[in-house]
Amino acid sequence: MKKIEAVIKPFKLDEVKEALNEIGIQGMTISEVKGYGRQKGHKEIYRGAEYIVDFVPKLKIEIVLEAAMADLVVETIRKAANTGKLGDGKIFILPVEEAIRVRTGETGKDAI
Amino acid sequence: MKPINQGRDHTMLNSEPAGLLLPVEHLKQKRVLLIEQFLEKKLPNFMIAHSNILDAYFSESFARYEPLQEMTRKNPLVLVAQGGYGRQEQCIHSDVDILLLFKKKVPPEAEAFIQSLLYPLWDLGLEVGHAVRSLKECISIGKIDFQVLTSLLDARFICGEALLFDDLVEEIRKQVLNRQTDRLIAWQVENNRNRHAQFGDSSYRLEPNLKEGRGGLRDYHVMLWIAKIISNPAEGRKGLEDAGYLSRDEFHMLSNALAFIFVVRNRLHHLAGRKCDQLYFKHQIRLANELNFDEKKGQKPVERFLGKLHGQMEFIKQLNRTFLYEIGYARGLSKKRPEPEPDCAPGIVLRKGRLDFSSEREAALGPGLLMKIFEESARLQVPLSSHARRTLCKLLDLMDEPFIASRSAMEAFEGILSAQTQGFSVLNEMLTTGFLQKFIPEFDGIVHRIQYDTYHLYPVDKHSLRTVQTLKNFRWLPETDPFYHKIIKDLSNPTLLYWAALLHDIGKGEAEGNHSAVGEHLVRNFFSRRGYSPEDVETVSFLVAEHLLLAKTATRRDTNDEETSIVCARRIKTADRLKMLYLLTVADSMSTGPKAWNEWTGTLLRDLFLKTLGIMEKGEFASSEAIARVEQKKARVVAAWPASEKEVPGKLIEIMSPRYLLYSSAEDICDHIRLFQTLGNEEVVWKIAPINGSGTRTVTVCAKDRPGLFSKIAGIFTLHNFDILEAQVYTWRNNIALDIFKVKAPLDTLFEHEKWIQAEKSLKAALSGQLDLSSALQRKLRESRHIKPPAGIRPDLVVVDNGSSNFFTIVEVFTHDFTGLLYGVTHALFQCGLDVWVAKISTMVDQVVDVFYVRDFDGQKIEDPAQVQKIKSAVLEVLTVEKPEAFHASEKDQAF
Repeated sequence: MKKIEAVIKPFKLDEVKEALNEIGIQGMTISEVKGYGRQKGHKEIYRGAEYIVDFVPKLKIEIVLEAAMADLVVETIRKAANTGKLGDGKIFILPVEEAIRVRTGETGKDAI
Repeated sequence: MKPINQGRDHTMLNSEPAGLLLPVEHLKQKRVLLIEQFLEKKLPNFMIAHSNILDAYFSESFARYEPLQEMTRKNPLVLVAQGGYGRQEQCIHSDVDILLLFKKKVPPEAEAFIQSLLYPLWDLGLEVGHAVRSLKECISIGKIDFQVLTSLLDARFICGEALLFDDLVEEIRKQVLNRQTDRLIAWQVENNRNRHAQFGDSSYRLEPNLKEGRGGLRDYHVMLWIAKIISNPAEGRKGLEDAGYLSRDEFHMLSNALAFIFVVRNRLHHLAGRKCDQLYFKHQIRLANELNFDEKKGQKPVERFLGKLHGQMEFIKQLNRTFLYEIGYARGLSKKRPEPEPDCAPGIVLRKGRLDFSSEREAALGPGLLMKIFEESARLQVPLSSHARRTLCKLLDLMDEPFIASRSAMEAFEGILSAQTQGFSVLNEMLTTGFLQKFIPEFDGIVHRIQYDTYHLYPVDKHSLRTVQTLKNFRWLPETDPFYHKIIKDLSNPTLLYWAALLHDIGKGEAEGNHSAVGEHLVRNFFSRRGYSPEDVETVSFLVAEHLLLAKTATRRDTNDEETSIVCARRIKTADRLKMLYLLTVADSMSTGPKAWNEWTGTLLRDLFLKTLGIMEKGEFASSEAIARVEQKKARVVAAWPASEKEVPGKLIEIMSPRYLLYSSAEDICDHIRLFQTLGNEEVVWKIAPINGSGTRTVTVCAKDRPGLFSKIAGIFTLHNFDILEAQVYTWRNNIALDIFKVKAPLDTLFEHEKWIQAEKSLKAALSGQLDLSSALQRKLRESRHIKPPAGIRPDLVVVDNGSSNFFTIVEVFTHDFTGLLYGVTHALFQCGLDVWVAKISTMVDQVVDVFYVRDFDGQKIEDPAQVQKIKSAVLEVLTVEKPEAFHASEKDQAF
């Protein structure tokens, strides 16, 4: 099993979600996150006062899936989230040891 | 929790003759039957019946326990029902709260009796709370433990020694209630406040707590207890009316509200299978169906069910608030007493810190005083007395059409709407008395309107009022958020914003259609009928219609794209409206619930707001003239293509930047499209056109964009002795660069065509890397000697401006003209890692002002001060080094 963690631009969520639905990914966890990488924050000015955005708002998608699906999912996210500009985000692939469904106690493939 | 099924002794009961039912079996059968009848809606007085069968169980058990007589001969015993059981509010899984009271010290044999009494109940799954005390103990605990005392307030005789029960009641009154009345009331009030803080406002909650929350049953109990502490009204709730705490109407409304909430609570207990007072989501739909709510006006049964529940709880909440306030005031417990009491408008008086009408008869003369009392309430920040509220409710029909549409009424209302408030909402008073709905009939549709989801925390009416209040907090509490405070203070007419906040969701009252559009329509009618200026009507209906625009755009569009802000700016049109729309969006989200508002969303919204405002304030792209001009151009460009091919310009227009569309003529755009069509797989194509009768040429270069493209083209011109007079750079969003140069024709025009062909060849060579442009230029510049005007007239100046545009860093270069200047500067910018997005090059006599809109290769502005300094030095070095007097090949090499 693998866990895919993708950090994307907020306005790309719908596209990514749809693209993932199309390849049969039903479940995911979304969180609102902030951070910076090469896309640094910036400052805004309203009537002389500065407002600094040091962390840029992003969305994080987390999906746990069978290892065989990982490449397809990564590619799908990459395509859908791409604007060709800085700050499009990153995708991480992590190994997952075990998954357990709380309600039934099912494990492994059946639990994801 | 007590152990169940362990160590008990049923032998006594089990030895009874067969054929006679044991009390507990009796109870069990009757309970099943009662619950069944209740669920079938055949038993209106379920709770009384339920406590009656418990009473019967205890009486029978008393009668059957033989050692009891001996035990109580010298030490009488009475069984007392307390708490909810005492009040006969025995819900399906409510605790059974009892007190076993002995006249004297509790005898050791009592233990076995209590076990025989309680264990069977535990086996039935009932939760029993019991206390065993002597009369003396009871009184002394009651004196110090007010929780215990409160349960005693609901004491009810079940069986045993009735005289002892009377002693208890009498002693409690004499020794505790009469001696510590004020302390007890203060404790109840304090408890009430803490409970509200802990459980929140049930009349707003998605999953209200029927008992503990604000507007819940406890709110009623507190009133009852306080009334009992003061005067011991005879029969529970009815006593509240008899003792003058409630009017007849209020008593009836309270009875209805309680009846409804108790039905819900009992059904909830049944569904949950346990004592459960929190109306969880998962039970709501089922309960709505069980209670036969149906779909109406586009509202789901569950939404109508919750709407009714919220309405009932709201009523109890109001009653509790008024009751406590007046009790507190009457008994001098209120800490804040406005002194001296200020004067009120004629016909209104301030009594005990509450506003009232001087006389009901005067109030009934016309609707004027009804509005007036709210005006005074807003002005003095004082609520209405319960008497005033009652009077007002009766007189609402005085508010006829001419009154509500009158200018004076509207002005009075606007005064209230925008009045400074401190934690007390006059609008809420208006809503809960029904005045608001009468004054704005359109509001009626959203009163107690629930949206069944976890996003909209509040009913629509409450949400609307909260939105207004949030805006007022921006205005009057600068320290909570200085940013919003600053913006709201800049508004030309904040009242329009308050109106929009009050009415923004009014479209949700209609069954059909998009609520923004429906709302816009309702609002437009409302204000037009009341004689508002067309501009004001337009502003409020615009705000209502577009109240979701910014939130949607901020989360669904790329706010770093200038286009996004331009589209918003064009739709919103003026900075004043943008500020109002922004504040409305923020207040709306904040007042919806935590899922709609957090710092994350806040950052996205603020970003969009400031960028859009930046676009507007420059007016360049968003003025109405600019919009009209661009639209005309688009139409003309499309018209220039034959019907079958309109798709070509149509598609390209969509990817042209607003800046390009604004500054290029329709003819030029057509030419550029045609030029683009010839590009195909080439890196670059250009077109040279003479400008009539002058020695200048326009060179339009269409190329696949890449960093450094502009400086390379400029370099090629210099290399081939074409003097650059002006240059403009545009980038389409399909990554096509259009660079337009005005250059001087060569002095000798004989072989001009050949010269251009040469130049084109070297441009392609430079782009493909076959020509080392930089070295070629160095050689050339070394050969040529510049004739420069004396230095020092105006010093060279490089300004890096990050304030004027939210999307670009602007580099301005002021210097004297010389050959190779443009190449030198743009190449330096390229070397600094910058991409030129827009360039305006102009030469006035010998003073050059070059403006470059740049971003780094990642598309970001350059805000790091060190980086800004590096850009300045690099450009300045080009200017200095290029001058003949400072010319040194070695230094120049560094510059390139």
